[in-house]
Amino acid sequence: MTTPEKGKGLAGVAGEPFAVELRGVTKRFGDVVAVDSLDLTVDENRFFALLGPSGCGKTTTLRMIGGFDEPTEGTIRLHGEDVTGRKPYARPVNTVFQSYALFPHLSIFENVAFGLRRQKVGDADVKRRVGETLELVQLTGMERRRPGQLSGGQQQRIALARALINHPKVLLLDEPLGALDLKLRKEMQIELKRIQNEVGITFIHVTHDQEEAMTMADSIAVMNAGHIERLGTPHEIYEDPQSSFVASFLGSSNLVEAAVVDLARGELAIGTRRVHVIPERVPAGAAQVKIGVRPEKLGVHSPGETTAVNTLMGTIADVSFIGVSTQYLVDTELGTSMAAVQQNTGGRRFSPGEQITLAWAPEHTFVVR
Amino acid sequence: MTDGTATRSAAAASAERRRRRVPYLLLLPGGLWLAFFYILPMLQLAGTSLKSGSFAGGYRFSWEFSNYGAGFSDFSAQFLRSIAYAGLATLITFVIAYPLAYFIAFRGGRYKNLLLVLVIMPFLFPFLLRTLAWKIILADDGFVVDTLKAIGLVSHNGRLLATGTAVVAGIAYNFLPFMTLPLYVSLEKIEPAMVEAAHDLYANPRTAFRKVTFPLSMPGVVAGTLLTLIPAAGDYVNAQLLGTPQQSMIGNVIQSRFLLVLDYPVAAALSFTLMLAILAMIIPYIRFTGTEDLVA
Ligand SMILES: Nc1ncnc2c1ncn2[C@@H]1O[C@H](COP(=O)(O)OP(=O)(O)OP(=O)(O)O)[C@@H](O)[C@H]1O
Ligand SMILES: [Mg+2]
Repeated sequence: MTTPEKGKGLAGVAGEPFAVELRGVTKRFGDVVAVDSLDLTVDENRFFALLGPSGCGKTTTLRMIGGFDEPTEGTIRLHGEDVTGRKPYARPVNTVFQSYALFPHLSIFENVAFGLRRQKVGDADVKRRVGETLELVQLTGMERRRPGQLSGGQQQRIALARALINHPKVLLLDEPLGALDLKLRKEMQIELKRIQNEVGITFIHVTHDQEEAMTMADSIAVMNAGHIERLGTPHEIYEDPQSSFVASFLGSSNLVEAAVVDLARGELAIGTRRVHVIPERVPAGAAQVKIGVRPEKLGVHSPGETTAVNTLMGTIADVSFIGVSTQYLVDTELGTSMAAVQQNTGGRRFSPGEQITLAWAPEHTFVVR
Repeated sequence: MTDGTATRSAAAASAERRRRRVPYLLLLPGGLWLAFFYILPMLQLAGTSLKSGSFAGGYRFSWEFSNYGAGFSDFSAQFLRSIAYAGLATLITFVIAYPLAYFIAFRGGRYKNLLLVLVIMPFLFPFLLRTLAWKIILADDGFVVDTLKAIGLVSHNGRLLATGTAVVAGIAYNFLPFMTLPLYVSLEKIEPAMVEAAHDLYANPRTAFRKVTFPLSMPGVVAGTLLTLIPAAGDYVNAQLLGTPQQSMIGNVIQSRFLLVLDYPVAAALSFTLMLAILAMIIPYIRFTGTEDLVA
């Protein structure tokens, strides 16, 4: 577990204040601790994903940033400014609600213009900006319709337009694609990413879909039971999840008990075998850890045909051909089974019962406590 | 012996015919109900309103349209009073019921159902009894009048009973649940996210109410005001028990024409005039509030 950038104070990269900064934020509902002394900073102009299983406190965190819930403890800053205790209508953030919450009694034009009208923007400006924003979400010409006359995907875009038109400092999105079917969701993922690039506003996107988070986000915070387990780029947290929770939440992995032999050289023992990992990944002071390897990082070879640093002997237990790849289930010499996925690029295929060697590189090995 | 297939297809056809009859059969009880208890009396009433003659000599149908003119010109004061009292009572009911319904819908929490039962509670007592109770409450030596005198809202020899105020208050009290329930239903339906979205888009609580909550509760406002205004305009119990002939409403006139004076044609003509007057008021109201559009 990491508490990211702790003690870094109020400034992020190049002395700029963070777009969002949460310090020691706790939220209790009676006995339930929904968010547990959370520290979180989000840089300017990021596509930031808050990822985690159901009930881990994502929505609560987002609602506290938006001002719909007040933290029990802790402070919330937006661009360095303390906004804790400020009402939602006095915060420079806007929200895309999961249910969209478009106003059914107003036209699309008035829905999108709602925020500007409250800020007493002149009619001519309102008209121009609504036009521009509808163009941004590619729904020009829908001005006179009512929300009920739009498809789910179109309503989604209007909800986005209604928030973006106000040029918020931060845009909050709570599972905005949750109600869309798979195909539309994929389209909207790309669309959201494009829009974020175009407007250059920090997006905080809540989702429980790891693939969605990986596709869209520049950085991901993985939440579990009210705190942040891991924060980093999709690549970093996938390759080095640092906790078994994060490892299993982001795709599948083979986890094996290991004993630390030589911390400085990254040498560990699994059973009678010695394996090597990147030394920095071994947590200091730990004697017993788990090492993990992603199935696609495990090579399947005929015995003796590999020169890889880390190897394990095993027998093929099961083979499934998936088209682009082949999945092997291997009974290893440790008595555990491991999954390995091989691209079907013309290499040798193995059959159940065959003796094989599993091989992998130190940089493809992660360590968790 | 007959051909098996022919028998079967004949059976299928008759089954099909029977199936097609089902919706009409289902409509039958309701249709008969309406015909017997609504359309027939209406036609009967319309016929009566065009009769001439006297109770002693008998009434004859004679296209006597003058019943309408005579009825209206003789009782225009009661007509106007009915509309004024009913309108005022509706306004008062609305002002009381809206905050009440709002509170139950948004702040009621787990007491919602209990609070609703309390709103409906007066219905458990007969209309007449409730109004008689008000007669006691508003009595000249009752504590309400005493209190109002003490704070100077009623003059020393003033009274509440037998005044327009009492009649309007009685109507407002009696129809409060009719206003509260539809308002509650429409407010309860509003997703909390709607109001949060308004706040998110820089609307303070007042603006959010004005621009989002209230417009979304419009169907309830229209239903509640109609459910109060229409029966209130035709009401006679409140005026009779809490007022004097000086406060009599068109309902009292119709009642006495029918039951005391036995002038059926004019009573029927007055009933129709009242119905048309109410229709003339509510159709523009529904148009103006755009409820059809909101419901669609
Ligand atoms: N208003 C509330 N009252 C009581 N408990 C609440 C309230 N809101 C949230 N909780 C609790 O707080 C915890 C976190 O809830 P939250 O809605 O933030 O989860 P989430 O990560 O958004 O989950 P999901 O993916 O299912 O939306 C849950 O245990 C939930 O039951
Ligand atoms: Mg949630």
